[in-house]
Amino acid sequence: MSAAGENRERGRAVPFWMIWANPIVRRYARSRLRPVGFLGMALVMVLLAGFIFFISRQTAMSRGDMELVDAARIPIIPLLVLQGIILLMLGTGQVAGSMTAEADEGTLEYQRLAPMTPLSKVVGYLFGLPIREWVIFWATMPFSIVSMWQGEVPLGIALQLYGVFIGAGVLYHLTGLLAGTVMKNRRWAFLGSIGLIFVLYTILPQVAKFGLVYLKYLTIRPVVEEFFSYFIERRAGLVVETLQELAPTARFFGLNLPQSAFTLLSQGVLIGVVVTMLWRTWRRSESHLLGKVGAVGFFAWVQVALLGNALPVIDSGDLFPSREFGRRFGRFTNRGGRDWEPEEAEIFMMIGAFGLVTLILIWALSFLIIPDEEGQVRGWRRARKLGRSKLSPRSDPATATPWVLLMVAIGSGGWYVFAKALVESRWFPEFVLSPTVLIALPMVLFTGGILVQTVLETKGRKFTGFVIILVGVVPVMLGMIAGVTRNELLPASVWLIGISPVSWTMYASQVVVPIDEFPADVLRGIPLAFWFWQGVAALLSLWMLNLLRETRKRIAEKTR
Amino acid sequence: MPEGAIEIKDLRVDYGDFVAVKDISLSIPYGEVFGLVGPNGAGKTSTFRVLATLMEPTYGEVSLAGIDILEDTERAREVIGYMPDLAPVPSDLKLWEFLDFHADTHRLGNGKARRERVDECLDTVNLTSKENAWCKELSRGQTQRLVLAKTLLHRPQVMILDEPASGLDPLSRREMRHALQRLAQGGATVLVSSHILTELAEMCSSLCVMNEGNLLASGTASQVREQLGRKERTVRASFLEVTEGVKSWLAGDGRVTEVRADGPVLSFSLVGDDEAQAGFLAELAGGGFGLKSFVEEGSSFEDILVEVAEGNRGS
Repeated sequence: MSAAGENRERGRAVPFWMIWANPIVRRYARSRLRPVGFLGMALVMVLLAGFIFFISRQTAMSRGDMELVDAARIPIIPLLVLQGIILLMLGTGQVAGSMTAEADEGTLEYQRLAPMTPLSKVVGYLFGLPIREWVIFWATMPFSIVSMWQGEVPLGIALQLYGVFIGAGVLYHLTGLLAGTVMKNRRWAFLGSIGLIFVLYTILPQVAKFGLVYLKYLTIRPVVEEFFSYFIERRAGLVVETLQELAPTARFFGLNLPQSAFTLLSQGVLIGVVVTMLWRTWRRSESHLLGKVGAVGFFAWVQVALLGNALPVIDSGDLFPSREFGRRFGRFTNRGGRDWEPEEAEIFMMIGAFGLVTLILIWALSFLIIPDEEGQVRGWRRARKLGRSKLSPRSDPATATPWVLLMVAIGSGGWYVFAKALVESRWFPEFVLSPTVLIALPMVLFTGGILVQTVLETKGRKFTGFVIILVGVVPVMLGMIAGVTRNELLPASVWLIGISPVSWTMYASQVVVPIDEFPADVLRGIPLAFWFWQGVAALLSLWMLNLLRETRKRIAEKTR
Repeated sequence: MPEGAIEIKDLRVDYGDFVAVKDISLSIPYGEVFGLVGPNGAGKTSTFRVLATLMEPTYGEVSLAGIDILEDTERAREVIGYMPDLAPVPSDLKLWEFLDFHADTHRLGNGKARRERVDECLDTVNLTSKENAWCKELSRGQTQRLVLAKTLLHRPQVMILDEPASGLDPLSRREMRHALQRLAQGGATVLVSSHILTELAEMCSSLCVMNEGNLLASGTASQVREQLGRKERTVRASFLEVTEGVKSWLAGDGRVTEVRADGPVLSFSLVGDDEAQAGFLAELAGGGFGLKSFVEEGSSFEDILVEVAEGNRGS
């Protein structure tokens, strides 16, 4: 039979959703589920789950005199933590480490050549590499199922909880896959992805308290908190429910979406973004992780999500960090719920934090979409060969400037809406937004965004890293040292810190809503330093834009 | 004109300012074992990686078995068998599992059908006795053979083999050479690179020489020699006795450039094309010099390549 005939007789391609039939999944099922290696780990984890299950409920029944329904609920959360360690932490580390190892060994090249669609390859690695962790996770599930069944947890709640948990697993594994694909060093990929989960569960919830409620939806915490009353003894659960009714949870733009639905939506968007990145890499290894339109689309979604979660809880006060602090520690600080009011400093912090997150996101996305010189040369040569005189603005070799400007416009809009809603809320009748808001906020995002993008595009990533340390970090450190050394140095400290783009959003916040909670020297210094450094940055931005234009022209010319 | 198995038109590969492959065009017919020769940095690996769909060229058109690899990459991968230089194997699979996995990605039927094909390929490369060994336990030569088996699994129409014989013992090399020639007879097209040039000359029906991203010459061995301007060829002639008469006759002929004597054998270099050579040898045979036999010495591709490489260094 001829080779062509053989090809025609081959089976049809396996659709990406048929995970069980995916050759990559089957390959890892074979290698990672061998009894040696797998059984030992599975046994330890199942024994641990069993121990948690029996010891907690038996203790509750015999020492705490609980009924079976109450005692059965006790192991639910500890089991969830153990399952989180297995699936979210170990699974993510496994994905990132193994992916880097495959790239190191060179066997990944074979996979590029496999006649499978890029999406099938992504799905294959996504479920294949952590297959051991998935199997062990499911092996511990009977304990959770029995606990929830005997604890009379409604089926819908159990499904929502584990739906979000599994969604989080998929999202974190995808991030591990991306880290493993992008990072060259196996150890760094492993540590980076584990670190990401640590940041998600420890640092981001703290940041979320500063008006960035959306960030907490990247974890399973909101869903666990919403259904917490079902995972504890019924009597305590009633108390929790009462507290929850007193302080209802945020709803996206006031819509009546369940927490689990919004968490799944947030996870789904991020899963879509990371799958797109991996799909692009598998389709063409030279591609940028995100296309220019995709990057702006993602940026717009984050702005909508940040606003949608923050705006509905301004009037209730739940957006303010001091509200939660007052609820938790009111009896110690005499700041109970009833006489609570937000502090002026919070308005400064929250407007600044919103701007900072927006600016950091512009930087991160710029990093993904700027073309390097090699990419531009290739793009120009190809365009010339095809008889074109211009690069398509959406193509990877095209400049990122228009797209950064688009993000600056969207970000300025989002930031303005947030600041306006905060200042015009019932909490701050004595404040008004300064008219300079229409200049200050867009200017900060423009200068900050354009400077980083143009330096990245003209000088490359290493040089930009050096500039970020020198201009972004060192002045803040020096300024802080000066500020705490002597009061006389406070004005100098304000001017020094003002050099750093990281400080610009906070300074802008003080400029558009002046509050008088700072020392007089600082109050006087911030607007002056802000406008001076913004002027310098604006001139620098224009100069850099011109330099970028000339650099791109030079590159285009040399390909003629 | 029928389309070739491998069609390359205006292929260019840039790495920033460095041009690895400069607008080359090449057509290789079906059923050829085609060698790609060139010193380090000639652009061979970049060309191979583009053909194997592992790298996108700056521009150019490439089709394999009639499939445009840039437009229809996934379908092209169905017909390509690529064996990289120093091919790696996974450490966590046994030989048959490694091959079964790749058979699965190529959708070669159910478990039984795949296993049969895996066994066939293991047999082709003489690794049947090792089927249950771990890939990591193989020697360099065995690993090369295993990867060749992987490359053969889906009966590719176009095989791209980068240094396939490296690490193989002489017997395995000969077996590989025969295996590749059998595949070509079956209709497959084999593109192969090797540094062992005499072996490549024996193995290949045609070849091409690359240098500094350019295609210097392509065709049969003698065509390549001629295209490279090396029209001299060396003839070894045996005589009943080497007389002064034959020596002076040779020395006096303008077509002969150099004469060396070694007992009853004279080696001399001839200038001119095939017809000129034929005419000269007829005169020699009919000249009454006691000529017993003559043979054209295998022209050294190594020499050609060394000259090309030295030219690089000098430039």
